[in-house]
Amino acid sequence: MGAVIAAASLALPRPADAIATTVQLAGRAAHDCLTGTGLSPDSVGVLINVGVYRESNTFEPALAAMVQKEAGINLDYLADAVPSAGFSFDLMNGACGVLNAVQVAQALLDTGSTDRVLVTAADVHPGGRAADDPAYPYEDLGGALLLERSTDPGAGFGPVHLRSGPGPTGTSGYLDTAAMGAGGRQLITVEQDADRAGKLLDLAAATVAEYTEEHGLDPERTMVVCSRPTPDFATLLAGRLGLDPASVLAAGLPGSDPERSGEPHTAAPVLGYLTALDGGLPHAYEELLFVTVGAGPSAACASYRLTGR
Amino acid sequence: MTSRSSRLEALGAYLPPTVQTTAELVAQVSGTQEFDLQRITGVAERRVHDPRPEAGEDSYGLALRAARDCLGNSRYEAADLDVVISASITRFQDGDRFAFEPSFARQLAAELGARSAIHFDVSNACAGMLTGVYLLDRLIRAGVARNGLVVSGEQATKVARTAAAEITDSYDPQFASLSVGDSAAAVILDESVDEADRIHYVEMMTCAEYSHLCLGMPSDRTEGIALYTDNKQMHKRDRLRLWPTFHGDVLAKQGRTFADEEFDYIVQHQVGTRFVEFVNRTGEEVFGTGMPRSLSVVERFGNTATTSHFLVLREHLKAGTARPGGKFLLVPAASGVVAGALSATISTMGV
Repeated sequence: MGAVIAAASLALPRPADAIATTVQLAGRAAHDCLTGTGLSPDSVGVLINVGVYRESNTFEPALAAMVQKEAGINLDYLADAVPSAGFSFDLMNGACGVLNAVQVAQALLDTGSTDRVLVTAADVHPGGRAADDPAYPYEDLGGALLLERSTDPGAGFGPVHLRSGPGPTGTSGYLDTAAMGAGGRQLITVEQDADRAGKLLDLAAATVAEYTEEHGLDPERTMVVCSRPTPDFATLLAGRLGLDPASVLAAGLPGSDPERSGEPHTAAPVLGYLTALDGGLPHAYEELLFVTVGAGPSAACASYRLTGR
Repeated sequence: MTSRSSRLEALGAYLPPTVQTTAELVAQVSGTQEFDLQRITGVAERRVHDPRPEAGEDSYGLALRAARDCLGNSRYEAADLDVVISASITRFQDGDRFAFEPSFARQLAAELGARSAIHFDVSNACAGMLTGVYLLDRLIRAGVARNGLVVSGEQATKVARTAAAEITDSYDPQFASLSVGDSAAAVILDESVDEADRIHYVEMMTCAEYSHLCLGMPSDRTEGIALYTDNKQMHKRDRLRLWPTFHGDVLAKQGRTFADEEFDYIVQHQVGTRFVEFVNRTGEEVFGTGMPRSLSVVERFGNTATTSHFLVLREHLKAGTARPGGKFLLVPAASGVVAGALSATISTMGV
């Protein structure tokens, strides 16, 4: 284990952007991560893009390949004087993609397959503007995490747990190709069951309780950073787990009305991580517990021990 | 670093029974039919899904059947699986819904009975199943998982239908879509305990400079999904040199050469007969040595996208035209542009 976050970054559509795209948001977040660390883009061996909703409902190639190009990572193996290879692919598992990618990154780092994994999480409405489609529940948002091996054996991510809940999927996002006409590049349907929030709360609470017990986390010293399927999810999860509400964070978008903004989708853990640190995380917290929950229903959970605490 | 390695434990597939000949497909092309598709691609026929909902031959249904076939050839039950990875490019479910969430893997795991399995989808164009195998290999080697399933179901002929309705000539960016076929394949990996059954290495790379050369998305002209390929650039000599150059560099770091590997068989991505010949010839030029025996099924099944290498393995092992105990080289070639190499000795894999 011992994968640490070397850098994290978010990207929101800029007012000047006509439309938002995964390539642009993930590419910008990836670029900021690399610039912040001073690392060469070519130092990234593997790029995993975990976004679910994408420009024009593109299904080939992996958007990760286009993000790799946008971020200037190992562009042309044959043309480079000193060839170094980058490998990119999309990993999709609804809201849990970032933690799935962390688990995969741990294995890639442990087996010496690469020294650095860049995880990008960007979702955009296929038409390019989430705000124009009132039925679409997510924000146009991109995030990136640069992961590498920790030099401090105690720091970084713990094991990732992934759990499936019972019953119907709760959320289904699809393009109805039998009713799209020639407009399929701009359309998307996301259906959310009315009882979804309660079921996600049950699954998240059970997954956190199991993880906390199995890995002996101290709730007094752990900040829970969770998805935000509803605006009150953090409060409800704290209540269910008997935690101090101040120790559970489900971040909304910076500068937005917390009651009205859409869900940050796959980038939620990146948003939560940056919000927790930007808020001046009290020194009493030595660990974060990332929790993601969504369509499936699936939930994922992973601790993250902060360095220097 | 670990010394664990993985093996290919069992293989399964599902091919829709409906056969469409190349002549039948060309007859559906609304624009010019003045090209010899069979001569250009080498594809004589392909399988096509039955569109009726009760047939259950959407991408998800195809994948489910291949997974069940694979489990039938395996020492494992579904409940034993630690990981389920789905790799479909064409993500059709409930008939015509192109599904983005939840993941196919989550739903397949539940339907198969692998309720506690780690689950996620990968999307990496035609290299999707090999990407899934690469990741599962690393999860097994890292000790995160003991075993797992990689599965993919493809209704690839949905893009052929759009191409037939829209293309004007053989230079059309959708021309390559006429060579695809429908299928599903699944493979189970577990820990290798014996060199006779082992993935010796699986290495992959993406040459992203050319990620724009093949794009799949809904058409903006008719109701259908489409694939637009810049064939001239995609199959340019430099693109074809990616695999042998990268593979040679991987081997050189270990002090070995291609000839040292003593492969018995090579399986290229099944784009077409000429493509397979070109890539093998490029391999000979770059490595300066002859290629092992090249296995193919493209004539009968067309380009089946993510499943191609595994269909080749299954068909040739079942038919006895590939020998158990042989050393196989699987070479991906996919939009992205993805290249790589998987080297495995296969002796007791269930097929």
